[in-house]
Amino acid sequence: MIRQLRDFAIAGVVALLIATAAFVAVRNRELSARQVELATRALDAAIAGRPTPPDVHAVIVSAARPSAKHPTLRRREVLDWPGTTPWRPLAAGGSPDDKLIYDAAARLDRNAETSCATARAGGEALIRQLYLGDRLARPLRASIAADACTGRLRFQEMLRDSTGRAIAVGPLDHATAPRHGDIAIAITTPTAPAPYPWLVIIGVFGLGAALAAAGALAGGNKAKLGTFAGIGALAIPCILWGAPIATTAILILGAGLALAQHAGLTDRTMRGIKTHRTALSFLAPAAVSMLLLVAAPFVIGLVLGFYDHHQGQWTFVGLDNFGEILSGGGRPLDDPLNFWFILGVTVLWTVANVALHVSLGVILALALSRSWLRGKGVLRMLFILPWAVPNYITALIWKGIFENEHGAMASILDYCGLENVDWFGSWATSFSANVITNTWLGFPFMMVVALGALETIPKELYEAASVDGASAWQRFRHITMPHLKPALGPAVALGSIWTFNMFNVIFLVSKGDPGGSTNILVTDAYRWAFERGERYGMAAAYATIIFLILLLWTVFGTRIVRSKGEAS
Amino acid sequence: MTSKKPHWLLRTLVYVGLIVAVAVVLYPVILVCKTAFAPGNQLGLSASPVPDGLSTEHFRELFGAEGSDGELLFLRHAANSIIVALLTTIVGVGLSCTAAYALSRFKFPGRKAGLTMFLVVQMFPATLLLLPLYVILNKVGLLNSIAGLVLVYATTAIPFCVWTLKGYFDSLPRELEEAARIDGASQWMIFRKIILPLARPGIAVTALFSFMTAWNEFIMASTFMTNQSRYTLPVLIQSSVTEHTADYGLFAAGAVVTSIPVMIAFYVLQRYLVGGLTAGAVKG
Repeated sequence: MIRQLRDFAIAGVVALLIATAAFVAVRNRELSARQVELATRALDAAIAGRPTPPDVHAVIVSAARPSAKHPTLRRREVLDWPGTTPWRPLAAGGSPDDKLIYDAAARLDRNAETSCATARAGGEALIRQLYLGDRLARPLRASIAADACTGRLRFQEMLRDSTGRAIAVGPLDHATAPRHGDIAIAITTPTAPAPYPWLVIIGVFGLGAALAAAGALAGGNKAKLGTFAGIGALAIPCILWGAPIATTAILILGAGLALAQHAGLTDRTMRGIKTHRTALSFLAPAAVSMLLLVAAPFVIGLVLGFYDHHQGQWTFVGLDNFGEILSGGGRPLDDPLNFWFILGVTVLWTVANVALHVSLGVILALALSRSWLRGKGVLRMLFILPWAVPNYITALIWKGIFENEHGAMASILDYCGLENVDWFGSWATSFSANVITNTWLGFPFMMVVALGALETIPKELYEAASVDGASAWQRFRHITMPHLKPALGPAVALGSIWTFNMFNVIFLVSKGDPGGSTNILVTDAYRWAFERGERYGMAAAYATIIFLILLLWTVFGTRIVRSKGEAS
Repeated sequence: MTSKKPHWLLRTLVYVGLIVAVAVVLYPVILVCKTAFAPGNQLGLSASPVPDGLSTEHFRELFGAEGSDGELLFLRHAANSIIVALLTTIVGVGLSCTAAYALSRFKFPGRKAGLTMFLVVQMFPATLLLLPLYVILNKVGLLNSIAGLVLVYATTAIPFCVWTLKGYFDSLPRELEEAARIDGASQWMIFRKIILPLARPGIAVTALFSFMTAWNEFIMASTFMTNQSRYTLPVLIQSSVTEHTADYGLFAAGAVVTSIPVMIAFYVLQRYLVGGLTAGAVKG
């Protein structure tokens, strides 16, 4: 009985959360529908010259006229409807809604212009095509003007400032319009949302608990039935509110709980929690924050990949984004917007950099580990300098060096009697500039790792090899290399992931120039989101693909790198 | 390695090679320092490592720039950077201490999975989460706010702190804890009275690293902080060299002022760095 009620309480809280989310969603949907309807009604009244319902701020706005003093500025006048106040200029600082009204009027004018223009062009094309004479064409033109330029051009929607207000905007009927009025606008005042139905919730929760307890008392299979019915009771309000998804979710939860009880899972989980409760309580702060800060955004990112984002509107498009990316978007393979081109650049970028980092790092480490070398400590400190400089600063420094005409590279090439090149003008030079920057920045890590590994090699090995007459190359091949590999394996794995995602260098040095061809996957995903018309869906899909590539690489790739290291 | 000295010619070659390498490593850094103190407008980092003259005009411009409401921008951005980095450190270390201890000492189901998760999150770039975080922060109105940026930075700071601290706790001897347990101390008491005081150096190093990471972060800050009064120092520095303006004198002055503290910290801490970074990869 106690166990049944415990399970019910835990699952019940989850079910209540689902029900609450459903309640809020349904309430907001109804609220917006009612607000939009009210705004539309008020707009009709204002256009017809009738008084508007209370709680609606309705205004008549004049056509925009160029200002006398600054002809580029366009001014409007506004009349509160129905009101006794005279016309006043529509300006910031007048009434709190003035900015809103101005924008809405401008939007209606813009819509009218485009729609009139399209309709007229379409009408003229039709007239020409049908060889209509002037007499026949005139009524057609008039009907287009009446239809497309005034009648159908209204819009009504919820305001996007999350104040819960709706706005309706429409052109005035000139027959009944007040003096020089042009546009009518109605803005509703926010209404208080319906209160949370505490009594209903407490009631169904009690009912559910009673059902679960009754089942438990009856025992056997009735206990599971009681659990299911108890949770199911919480779905009743969701059915009443008309929320099918929440209803299904709660019923599935109930069924899942009953099945879990049947298999004894709930008891085992509880026992596990009890035995490990110290560990779990120590783990909780980090675990909960990771869940909220990493897991939740990650899942949201996955979901966003299935949507298209356009001007604040999200539309579900299924796998379209992934299709567009993986098919290259119908672009040729050498187009910098083609995913496969960027993937190729990214792989080349990673391989080139890691190879340079490792070879430079190992060569320097070998030189620094000579026993006869003086000033080792100082040299080591100097060589890790690039690691100490913040990498966005490194990137900007090298950008300044490669800068056309004014950069250091230009003078150096000039000094050597070479022609200066426009570094970011062609793919090869631009890519090289990035690689040079990243090599400067990344070799110290490999050098330090290699130095650490070299220190662990016992000197006796070399002495014994020398005694046996091994050449310098043989000593390197058979003593140094095998000792370096186990340390360099993980370092290469880590370095490859860092380089694959080296956002700052690409973003700040070449900026993807020329024409986006030196972008790597992470910078391209960023550009889809923030520089190519806020295509958030594409960017999210890109991030998912990058994640999968990295996952494959960490699971399989690093295993290859590491096993090579350990085998020898 | 060999005790026998090689031929003097070879030795000279190695020395020459190393000197050339040092020159290549130092050259960009010297250029920045020179540009910072050089007079006049700089459209790039010019080749000569010696300035034409000495002047502090770029520093005066950097510290004297005023925002729209007359506040000193550099001070504002420096304050933003310090607050964000400090809060990130506090959140990161504060939330991960106990978890790192649990992962180091306790056996429980899901321990290995948890360790792998922290490792993967730490290795994978935060830029993958940039877009969903942007959408969420936009929805809840936390763009352009210090709190929002701290939450974003915590996504990398927490796993980093968990891993580094776990490594440190692993190196602490268990005998003290066992003795305390026999004396009847609770797990929480052991953690607070024995482990935390012992781990102080490890916690200090971890805290400094997460402070430096937050201090040096550029792309998140530049995406989430679009209002000039909310910039952090990296965003300020980058904004002096964009497509529209190229003022390398100002950039160099800013770079020198911002980097010197972290570079000092880096040199103090560098011997801890390699161990911590590769330890994860080896054990994972």
